[in-house]
Amino acid sequence: MTQEGSNFKRGYEDPWPPVRGDYLVGNPNAGVAVATLASPLFVRAGSDLPPYMGAAIYGQCKTENLGVEKIVANVISNINIRYLIISGVESKGHLPGNTLLALHRNGIDEQGRIIGSKGAIPFIQNLQPDAIRRFQRQVELIDCIGLEDMEEIERLVSRYNLLAEPYPEEPFLVVRRKAVLQEILMGEGDLFFGANVFMDTRAWQIAITG
Amino acid sequence: MFRFKNRQSIVNVAGVKFGGQPGELATVLCGTIFYQGHRIVENEEIGLFDHAAAERLVARQAELSEDTGCPAVLHIYARTHQAFLRYLDFAEEVWGGPFIIDSADSDTRARAASTVSELGYGDRAIYNSISLATGEAEAQAVSESEIDSAILLAYNPGEPGVEGALRILETGGSVLEKGLIPLARELGIVNLLIDPGVVPMGSGAGASLRFSVVAKARLGLPVGSGIHNAVSAWPWLCKKEIGIRKCCDAAAAAMQLLSAGDYLLYGPIENSDFIFPAAALADILVAEAVRDLDIHPGEGHPLNRLV
Repeated sequence: MTQEGSNFKRGYEDPWPPVRGDYLVGNPNAGVAVATLASPLFVRAGSDLPPYMGAAIYGQCKTENLGVEKIVANVISNINIRYLIISGVESKGHLPGNTLLALHRNGIDEQGRIIGSKGAIPFIQNLQPDAIRRFQRQVELIDCIGLEDMEEIERLVSRYNLLAEPYPEEPFLVVRRKAVLQEILMGEGDLFFGANVFMDTRAWQIAITG
Repeated sequence: MFRFKNRQSIVNVAGVKFGGQPGELATVLCGTIFYQGHRIVENEEIGLFDHAAAERLVARQAELSEDTGCPAVLHIYARTHQAFLRYLDFAEEVWGGPFIIDSADSDTRARAASTVSELGYGDRAIYNSISLATGEAEAQAVSESEIDSAILLAYNPGEPGVEGALRILETGGSVLEKGLIPLARELGIVNLLIDPGVVPMGSGAGASLRFSVVAKARLGLPVGSGIHNAVSAWPWLCKKEIGIRKCCDAAAAAMQLLSAGDYLLYGPIENSDFIFPAAALADILVAEAVRDLDIHPGEGHPLNRLV
């Protein structure tokens, strides 16, 4: 489900980012986002942070499914972001960097599997196909996997900030899909509490017999 | 606090029993050593670590197991096969019980399966895990190994929730050609341990609690989880002091046991100091709750040891 806002003068809707995670927000008006994969470069740098943090957001991404989803959701909700720098070391086995590149290049199949990813379980489960297509159109990925030099990353941020123009559409807000309400039917009890009380574990309902 | 109508199987891995009716057996507690970011690891690529510190951690878990009656399993995580070889050498020296072999890298897992078989530890090893991510090469390595115990990770990103997790176990759902249970049987796995694959809170962590009850009712197999992962992935809690984080970890563990959990992948082995007492407490309360339902805990159960 998509909410196309009508008046996003800043290019994003407060509060931004909409999805929580292990990240630092820099300047939301900037044109660059930075993923540091398994390297806790900016998040835990504390007082060692570079004096100028020019990206919109800096964060780790350790998983090839939920972590990638969070990045996509937060990036496409801010039209100022046009570049995503993928830096830091890969999370072994999970390969979220490889998966981000594959998602951007190939998208997903009918089951939600990210086509071409070498990660362990590369599936998108909480984003609609429109969100993926928007991610592919809105941002360019800068493949710097392996780069952990924070000053070098900041230099890249400055360079790509100069090139960035806001994406010419409204921010794309990924709204959590509501579960379809289903009628829960009582079946045969298969879990007993004693005293003629039973529970049907498919329906998760407790009842009394006799 | 309940009794399952279906028979609940009990599996025995190197003398440690998993499963049964809630209240029948003590919870099996699996502490992880050499995990990503573990302070005692000096080089995770080649497996250099502080031997004395590691030995203290394993001994402490064993001591708490002996004290409470909750059996312990050593959960060995390795980034590479080279590291795994060093860790296995260490485990051979200090630990005589079952151990879990685990890595994020499928090649490392597969080679570990071969190694433990060659060294004659196949009957003590629990393979973690057979899942959606298990490819042909890994499946072949497990099949050719002597390992007969495995955790089946029921994580189903194509269909999140309890029903989806059951489907990937039984039929493979929309993402696999066959279910993980028939696949594991084909690979020679006899002792099946079910794990829903706990996702972060906000993404459905709570479903793992209901899953354990439903999976035991439907499958009759031992079920556990790494509910600790939901706690450690909660950004709000990460900013709190250590005592608060421990309380939440212990509470989550107890909730999983109240929901019919048979084993816990309780996270860092350092947590043994508070997880073993919390699990023993939960085991005692559950065993007392089902006493009138014709369920009788064994001699070593915390109920018969600590109260």
